[in-house]
Amino acid sequence: MADMTTEHELDTIDVNVNIGPQHPATHGVFRMVLVIDGEEVVDLVPHIGYMHRGAEKLSENMDYRQAIGYQDRTEYLAQFNAEMCYVQAVEKLAGLVPPDRAQYIRVILAELNRISSHFMFLGAFGTDLGVFGTAFTYAFRERENVLDLFEEVTGDRLMYAYFRPGGVAWDVPRDFKERVEWVCENALVGAMDLDKLLTDNEIFIMRTRGIGILNAQDAIDYGATGPVLRASGVQHDLRRAEPYSIYDRFDFEIPIGTNGDSYDRYLVRLAEIRESVKIVRQALAQMPEGPILPERMPRLLRPAAGEVYMRCENPRGEYGIYLVSTGGTQPYRLRIRSSCFCNLSALKHMTVGHYVADAVTILGSIDIVLCEVDR
Amino acid sequence: MSPDEKDDKPAEETAEDAAPAIGPVADLFKTALPGVSLEAAQGALDVLITIDGKDAHQVLETAKNDEALAFDFLRNLSGVDYEDAGLEVVYHLYSYTHGHNVTVKAKLPSQDPRIQTVSDLWRAADWHEREARDMFGIVFEGHPNLVPILLPEDMLDHFPLRKDVPLAPLEEWQGEQLGENMANAGHIPPGSGFDVTPSAEGE
Amino acid sequence: MEVNEEPTNGGAAPESAAEATPASEPTTAERPPRDASAVPGRVPAPAVEVAATSRPMSLGVQLEMARLTPVEVDHPKALYKTLLPGVMQVPADYIIAAARKSSLWPMTFGLACCAIEMIATYMSHHDLDRFGIVPWPSPRQCDVMIVAGTVTKKMAPAVKLLYQQMPNPKWVIPMGACATNGGPYTRYDRVLQGVDKIIPVDVYVPGCPPRPEALMDGFIALQNKIMEERNQVG
Repeated sequence: MADMTTEHELDTIDVNVNIGPQHPATHGVFRMVLVIDGEEVVDLVPHIGYMHRGAEKLSENMDYRQAIGYQDRTEYLAQFNAEMCYVQAVEKLAGLVPPDRAQYIRVILAELNRISSHFMFLGAFGTDLGVFGTAFTYAFRERENVLDLFEEVTGDRLMYAYFRPGGVAWDVPRDFKERVEWVCENALVGAMDLDKLLTDNEIFIMRTRGIGILNAQDAIDYGATGPVLRASGVQHDLRRAEPYSIYDRFDFEIPIGTNGDSYDRYLVRLAEIRESVKIVRQALAQMPEGPILPERMPRLLRPAAGEVYMRCENPRGEYGIYLVSTGGTQPYRLRIRSSCFCNLSALKHMTVGHYVADAVTILGSIDIVLCEVDR
Repeated sequence: MSPDEKDDKPAEETAEDAAPAIGPVADLFKTALPGVSLEAAQGALDVLITIDGKDAHQVLETAKNDEALAFDFLRNLSGVDYEDAGLEVVYHLYSYTHGHNVTVKAKLPSQDPRIQTVSDLWRAADWHEREARDMFGIVFEGHPNLVPILLPEDMLDHFPLRKDVPLAPLEEWQGEQLGENMANAGHIPPGSGFDVTPSAEGE
Repeated sequence: MEVNEEPTNGGAAPESAAEATPASEPTTAERPPRDASAVPGRVPAPAVEVAATSRPMSLGVQLEMARLTPVEVDHPKALYKTLLPGVMQVPADYIIAAARKSSLWPMTFGLACCAIEMIATYMSHHDLDRFGIVPWPSPRQCDVMIVAGTVTKKMAPAVKLLYQQMPNPKWVIPMGACATNGGPYTRYDRVLQGVDKIIPVDVYVPGCPPRPEALMDGFIALQNKIMEERNQVG
């Protein structure tokens, strides 16, 4: 192409292509302006903030328990993981220790939520690549199983607000163990279905292998965490490195990738579904009977003055809650360290040099949830 | 009103001490930065190092480059508004090589808060600082691209997360005050006898 | 926020000022302003509210008002009514309305959490395809816009533009509490308190998020509305 230009002295201009904020492939209201030279992306300017709804500001004016609802809505695909992080942050300041049964329930639900979130990724990623609908239907079939279970336990399909500082809100139904085991089996079958649909598909491999490479050093520098970081080869998982809750009692692998491209990110998430099922099965076997809230639960929660930065391993990365309390009934400052916010800042680095169609693929492989990016 | 960290709660589950003794990271900081005035305390999970805003870049550069500290991961950068005690920029750092973490709090005045950017140390700070500027008005000097990130560009008259900015009042439902051009708009012309007028009953 | 008048006060609704100082500021609405304390279970607004109305309106807020004015709405006449007025009107209306309601193509406009429930409604478990509802990404070929999620003031001009890009006849379904009146985020000043402030709305579907069955109910209500209005549609 360069030879033709010098031979015929073609004058080319770089074109600005605006993708979003309404676009079927932007996973929400995300806008990126690509500067392209022919078909190759030369520059990328992301614009976020279209879903900035002020969860942090509103949480400062709410009771500690009312603010749990905002965590659900911030991370609307991994609600239990977000709730767990927030609830543990409050517990650290208030000095509450949740009983064992509550811890096991939390871990089981959080891992099932990780499974359902990864199914959503598999569906959406397939859709981004052009399998418009097929991958989604498979993925949502599996998600509906998990969501039915969550509805039986908490009463809601999507916004649970079930975890409370000190434990969980109420006990699980009697047939919880059988239902969870059934969901796990079906999740494995569903993961295998999507695996067979996508992993060895030649077109899928051609479109994702070598696309959007992020090496380990850059991933750490950009603050990327979660599957994006693990696909770049850094074996770092907060459940192993800084264990919270009771994750040190379980035995699970941490899948990593080698190249840091979109294919590796897909494979890492697929493997994580299987690891999560392992954790859930171990937790089911170990779960004791007992209370789900501590005996001395204060009516009005007033954590001691102080601050804590609680971090958890969400399906998308490290979700952190920086909570500052001055001893009142409302948080003084609730800062949500969003995993997708940091992962997304590496988008330009990953996309420059690829083609326009790859830009959509790379965005899909980061797996963003816009409400978490914008809070 | 800066919070005092006392850690006398039971059942601490981190690698650092459960007692109020400060973790070893504080000593590493003190040896690496002899000339800088810093206060160390133990928070619920991390060691908290409080410094002045002017020393922030120096301290953080040492935190990243010093071999014993080696904080290569900027987890989080947030602003906090302590009304009378000024603003604070709080950095949460983690080291992949050593596996330790720390919280660095840089104090700033409420009026005209300026601090040097750390986006030359960690590229993650880029977006975090833009957000802190949107929410609190903290100006990060030396930032390559300090434009609004979460708020619309023409709406920076007040900074939402500051404590003196109240919540918005509830506005009335538009449905009850639709003007003529909006009622049943799009497909039913007004005056056709099928208009949906705002209901006259009370609540 | 008033629709047809220039904003005179600090961007705040007049009724909170009316609640605090009932004697001042006769509002333009004929009916009395909504009294929050009459609604059971609703926490009345605290007195601190008054401070918000006294905040001066800066240039940024004025610019924002300009961006958030409601969309201009036209009332076109359908082709078959302009060309052949009165000819077989009643059966033509019926057939065309039945056709329209049986093949509503919504624009995929999922903004936030409600988008997930909207997608779940399209998928095989609840299945909107059996109603003839096919999600379509382009606004130029859509009938319905499901505003699923919070509309922020940054996003509002885009929503207006998308509404204007849709060809007539078009309907709007705000799905969820956020699109109805701001929802759980209504007290944040960057959030538009309901999408009906900028575009006309047909069927509200409440919930946070609404269950897929609720969205289907909303669609059925819209279908009924299309049939009922068939004689008056332009």
